[in-house]
Amino acid sequence: MKLSQMHIGQSGIIRKVRANEPIKGRLFAMGITKGNRITLLDHTLKKETFEVDVEGTRVALRKEEADAIEVEDEKD
Amino acid sequence: MKKIRAVMVGQPNVGKSSIINALTNARLHVGNFAGVTVEKKEVTLTYKEYDIDIVDLPGIYSLNAYTPEEQVSKNYLLDESYDVIINVVDANVLQRNLILTLQLLDMNPKMILVINMIDEVEKQGGMIDAVKLSELIGRPVVLASAKERRGVEDIIEMLIDEFERPDRQRKIYYDERIEEEIERLSEILLKSPKFISADMARFFVVRLLEKDPDIYKIVHDLPIFLELHEELGKSIHRLKLGFDEESAADIIANERNAIAKSLVMQCMQAPKKASLTDKIDKILIHPIFGLPIFLFFMWGLFQLTFEIGSLPVDYLDATFTNFANWLKQILPPGDINAIITDGIVPAVGSVIMFLPNILILFLGINLLEQTGYMARAAFLLDGFLKKFGLQGKAFIPLVSGFGCTVPAYMAARTLKNPKDRLITMLVLGFMNCSARLPVYVLLIAAFFPTTNAGNVLFAIYISGAILGLIVAKILRIVLFKGEPEPFVMEMPPYRFPSLKALGMELWLKAKLFLKKAGTFIAGAAMIIWFLSNFPHNPQLIKQYEQKIAQAQTKEQKVALENELAAKNLEYSFIGRIGKMIEPVFAPLGFDWRLSVATISGLAAKEVVVSTLATLYAVGDADEKSSTLIERLRQNIDFKTAIALIVIIMIYSPCVAAMSTFYAEVPRWAWRAFYTIYPNVLAWLLAYSVYNILALLGY
Repeated sequence: MKLSQMHIGQSGIIRKVRANEPIKGRLFAMGITKGNRITLLDHTLKKETFEVDVEGTRVALRKEEADAIEVEDEKD
Repeated sequence: MKKIRAVMVGQPNVGKSSIINALTNARLHVGNFAGVTVEKKEVTLTYKEYDIDIVDLPGIYSLNAYTPEEQVSKNYLLDESYDVIINVVDANVLQRNLILTLQLLDMNPKMILVINMIDEVEKQGGMIDAVKLSELIGRPVVLASAKERRGVEDIIEMLIDEFERPDRQRKIYYDERIEEEIERLSEILLKSPKFISADMARFFVVRLLEKDPDIYKIVHDLPIFLELHEELGKSIHRLKLGFDEESAADIIANERNAIAKSLVMQCMQAPKKASLTDKIDKILIHPIFGLPIFLFFMWGLFQLTFEIGSLPVDYLDATFTNFANWLKQILPPGDINAIITDGIVPAVGSVIMFLPNILILFLGINLLEQTGYMARAAFLLDGFLKKFGLQGKAFIPLVSGFGCTVPAYMAARTLKNPKDRLITMLVLGFMNCSARLPVYVLLIAAFFPTTNAGNVLFAIYISGAILGLIVAKILRIVLFKGEPEPFVMEMPPYRFPSLKALGMELWLKAKLFLKKAGTFIAGAAMIIWFLSNFPHNPQLIKQYEQKIAQAQTKEQKVALENELAAKNLEYSFIGRIGKMIEPVFAPLGFDWRLSVATISGLAAKEVVVSTLATLYAVGDADEKSSTLIERLRQNIDFKTAIALIVIIMIYSPCVAAMSTFYAEVPRWAWRAFYTIYPNVLAWLLAYSVYNILALLGY
């Protein structure tokens, strides 16, 4: 499932980050890397901008980036 | 005395500056990095028999530099000579911060790891085993809290220890398959005489596997390049197959992430989740209420700026008027007396009156920044800004623009894409800076009822911002086609602002402002005064003196005196200059005095107020002088005042801001465009507004 398809409060494990360099490097630096746990905290009304928590860091990103992040659902 | 050169490196928001500030007996120098306008903080201190020099590098998320500021840090790490690296990390997000630490360790440098904000982790029941972490990474680890001044002295002790330690052990290795390739490629690099140490070669190889363009450029000119290039390709191919990944960069990134994770697992007991930020965020960036709350905050800020800021204005105004009158009596009469009491004191006074307004506005912007709300506002506005061809992060320079355009131009550096950056910088001038505040406050006080003052001020700032967005959109469509840069931004946790830091910032701002008023603005006022008083026309004066002597009543006398003063002013240098430029501004209803004031605003926006004060005072021979506000009401009509506000909102910012823009943007075409278009736009809009108001019967 794409990060952009998650609902608020849902979390999962990142499986793949499809972005191109240099944005990929930036996502890595923020902790958005394969194997890390990600939680969708919030998004704006039109789902244009997303706020996520990855291993304790809060990151804001756009729909384009959220589409590029593949997440494996985690049943909690 | 031994000399130690240390360099402080860390991700943004880890509190490097606060550690620097917490060092005792340290002397701080603030300058620029060579060739760029990035602020360089450097401290020197003496401890035991050591002279220690610490350079604080701009925050950098990773060695894959992304923004121009990060590039500065990276270049410094690669090219400059230093003895020890001080790597500062935030205890709250240790795992992410360790990624940069691991990249630095690839160099196998002398380094100490400072874990800042440990108090926040411990307060929530977490803890970090510094001894164990130190064993695992092979470098000293200091637990510190700049806020509680904890561990700050240890940093210096450890720094000296590390400096004196002869051996540097490498403790961190990647997966065997990666290490094999590293070794193979290092051997090729070491054939070149440029590489004397295996550590350096290893670091270069890792960066090459990660496709670092800066490193690629360095090895490109070496004789071994062909061989290296071929083998590098093979290595990357083997790694991709072996790990089933898209690129070697991905493989190494995953490796580092795994190592960081395992380090944290072994050494840190995670705190119970802090939920304060979560709770606040639930409200402040709520999908529906977030934006209205943000707008309310901004509206409140401008209300406060006007309401509280204007409380002492009348008092300050009266004080300066009395002071000038008092000086007039005790100083010997003559030109010196006049230049001080008619020129400098009222001019400087007219500007200093607005210090409270400016301080409140600055306090507000600082609070937004320090509490972490600024990042939330960027988050809320990203979708909106995107529609105008900007991105959320552009919000930060744009809001700083409300304070001062100069640092705002510099803040635009956080935008990586040059197009985004240029568009943001081209419209930054429309975000009204605090120097323009005095002009607005003065005109609002003169032409609007006080009950509406705060709202009018808010409206002015909002229309400036909206205009900026529209222009950004036009620029994006016409001149910079293409998508804006992607938006990925860290949202720092909410922090209670440090009152000390806020106080320091305000004090600094007040000091700078008073200094500017006392030097630059006083100087400009002196020039304006001189230009408006010379040359004299002796014939004219003689003629009027006779008339005044013959006058029958007191009223006639006063009228004649005023007439003489006005004629003198017209005869003066400034009168002639004003008459020359008057035709340009005449369609806006400006008389030559307003025209001169507008032009003088290019020196600094506050000068508009002081020039108005000088020019309208000269025409007023009445000794019990009324305030500037009353004089403006007598001389300017409503629609002209509005046209003036429009001009001030849009036309070129002050010379300081313009020269910053020139320094940041090297291309002449853009500099020329930047210099011309706001003035044309300002005139056209002011002309339209003036005529629309005239049609409506104002």
